[in-house]
Amino acid sequence: MGSGRWSTDVFDAAARYRAARGVSAFAYSDGGATAVHPSLDPYGVTRRESRDSDEHPESVAIAVLFDVTGSMRTVPRALQARLPELLGLLLRKGYVTHPQILFGAIGDATCDWAPLQIGQFESDNRMDDDLGRILLEGGGGGQKTESYELAMYFMARHTSIDCQERRGRRGYLFLIGDEMPYARVKAPEVRRLIGDEMVEDLPVEAIVAELTRKYDVYYILPHGSSYVGDHEVLGRWRRLLGQNVIQLDDLDAACETIALTVGLGEDAIDLGEGLDHLREYGSRSGASVSRALATIAADRAMVAVSAVPGDLGTGASGGIVRL
Amino acid sequence: MTHDIVVDLGYGDAGKGTVVDWLCSPANGGGPVPAVVRFNGGAQAAHNVVTPDGRHHTFAQFGSGTFHAGVLTHLSRYVLVDPLALVAEADHLVALGVPDALDRLTVDRRALLTTPYHRAANRAREIARGAARHGSCGVGIGETAAYALAYEDDAPRVGDCADPRVLCRKLTLVRDRLSEELGELQAPLVAACVEAFRAFAGSVRLVDDAYLPRLLRRGRVVFEGAQGVLLDEWQGFHPYTTWSTTTFANAEALLAEAGLAGSARRLGVLRTYATRHGPGPFVTEDTALTAGLPDRHNSHGQWQGAFRVGHFDAVAIRYALEVSGGADALALTHLDVAQARADLRICRAYEIDDQRVERLPVGPAGDLDRQARLARRLLAARPVCGRVAGGWIETVGEALDLPVVLGSFGPTAADKRELRVRAGRGAAA
Repeated sequence: MGSGRWSTDVFDAAARYRAARGVSAFAYSDGGATAVHPSLDPYGVTRRESRDSDEHPESVAIAVLFDVTGSMRTVPRALQARLPELLGLLLRKGYVTHPQILFGAIGDATCDWAPLQIGQFESDNRMDDDLGRILLEGGGGGQKTESYELAMYFMARHTSIDCQERRGRRGYLFLIGDEMPYARVKAPEVRRLIGDEMVEDLPVEAIVAELTRKYDVYYILPHGSSYVGDHEVLGRWRRLLGQNVIQLDDLDAACETIALTVGLGEDAIDLGEGLDHLREYGSRSGASVSRALATIAADRAMVAVSAVPGDLGTGASGGIVRL
Repeated sequence: MTHDIVVDLGYGDAGKGTVVDWLCSPANGGGPVPAVVRFNGGAQAAHNVVTPDGRHHTFAQFGSGTFHAGVLTHLSRYVLVDPLALVAEADHLVALGVPDALDRLTVDRRALLTTPYHRAANRAREIARGAARHGSCGVGIGETAAYALAYEDDAPRVGDCADPRVLCRKLTLVRDRLSEELGELQAPLVAACVEAFRAFAGSVRLVDDAYLPRLLRRGRVVFEGAQGVLLDEWQGFHPYTTWSTTTFANAEALLAEAGLAGSARRLGVLRTYATRHGPGPFVTEDTALTAGLPDRHNSHGQWQGAFRVGHFDAVAIRYALEVSGGADALALTHLDVAQARADLRICRAYEIDDQRVERLPVGPAGDLDRQARLARRLLAARPVCGRVAGGWIETVGEALDLPVVLGSFGPTAADKRELRVRAGRGAAA
């Protein structure tokens, strides 16, 4: 008998176990951080803004939000490593002249200690800082749900983007993850994590409807993650987002996939041209990106048929045949 | 090859740690011991072991044989596992030159988890009891056991640490239910616990029910009990008890599952004098002894209360033997203290309401009202003490009608003497 003389400090214990295994976390997490970095905390944020300026007169808002739990922990690493390529493709190939990119991270509001992290729309390498500050979760696997709906709520109601407000062109929003949103945006979570006085829950379908007025929303499901090929997860997102569900067999190709999706969306390229650009930049992800974007490219080609019939021959099918 | 079950026949603190350490040491003639198995209690255990070169560790969740190279620890499904305290303990062992304690640990996936919410609830409840406190250790053992009884399916278990979603759900339920009952608890965020418990699952080998039978067939195992029989949840003096079965029963159940029922030696551990940590009946208590015999490793605990000392209580020990189904042999510790203190007595009977009582009545296990009545009677009992004529080893052996097979004359394994058992009863050095 005795009085339990060994420390039971929870943070202490996690660090001790990590030390015992010689494992370390990532970036901001490395410093022993256990809470959302203040610059990424959505609580009390009125809005994140993507604004036109003299320097960037025609801004295009691009938001990339990824699941940071479980197998998805590697996404921020891949994004950070490929960020220069993403910017390079977007800018040098003229897909978008003035992109403003926001990064964010999605956890689980019922459990994780960083359920939602949202950076700023940035036009330069400052976006890299936001990536480095993102707190990575340890969780993952199990219930197939993360708080995507909370992230979508924030993006719908707490962002203000000039491309849409001044020029009527929607921004781009990419959700990367391997799980489903919860069925409802829950009022208590919104109050606690964002600070809005919300009284009633909101069905996820309603928030998607709001969000898609502002952004073209894409969901990217990387292969190698738990629920690839899972009909429930895919089906859920297809019902919410229709064609804009992208299955990606190589997580490392996430940046290229985003770049080409934006390029396609801006009608700057067709898929074949985009894949040529990837090769030009030495990317080995062409095959993955091609498979991932076949549906979207075909869809855009169909749109193109009705608008500019002559373009049919240079549509997506040509690009796919080459691979 | 005979397995040993080591059980404290008193209120705890008799010296299970030092006995288990000796059983695992090369000095013990029974052959090498590959593993120590824990079968009750949890992180509240405080089994002190001092090595001949002067290192001291208070074993809580690691087996007390851990100082000996290669000796494994297995926490069976009966143990209430506290992953937070576990790693702090492992770190202290590293500092003492035992770098691989975590590597030598296996934990049954079915074992219950003690969480910061259980701990916080435990303390909140003891504070609310005020002067009527039960002498809880304050580490959450009782809350862990009580919660598992009330919500068996939702109780967090070791195996859940490998599945963060299940763990998160269960921890949230524990927090919410206990907070609802006791008000806001002083405890960390669920996510913080999940992170630490996941790290535990990643660092320790979790095993299923097939593991222990294999271990038991591989070599000699020491079952290390926690606490003492007189604190047993069903047979102790309610409510001054622990939420744990402190008899041989759990160890016997594990042996039976491996097809080894009844094959182990049941070893009862006793001091030459009695001790009790915290409140509750303690018939032979002697304030002069409490003042004169401060304990090396035990003192006033913030949650347990005072460490009290009294004379050897043969009445209570006979009760302990009876309710636990008897022992095969005894280990007697603190013989060095008995040699130095001529004022130590042995109590062979009580006076209760002017009646002489030599045997406490034993009732069916689990009748807590009856146990509470017994406790009230004991609070009014006075000890009838006598001198110890002849040696302590012989006197105790005869009073309990059991052979004393191990005598301890000091804290280290080098201070132990294996005793030759005489035909009949008793033993000689």
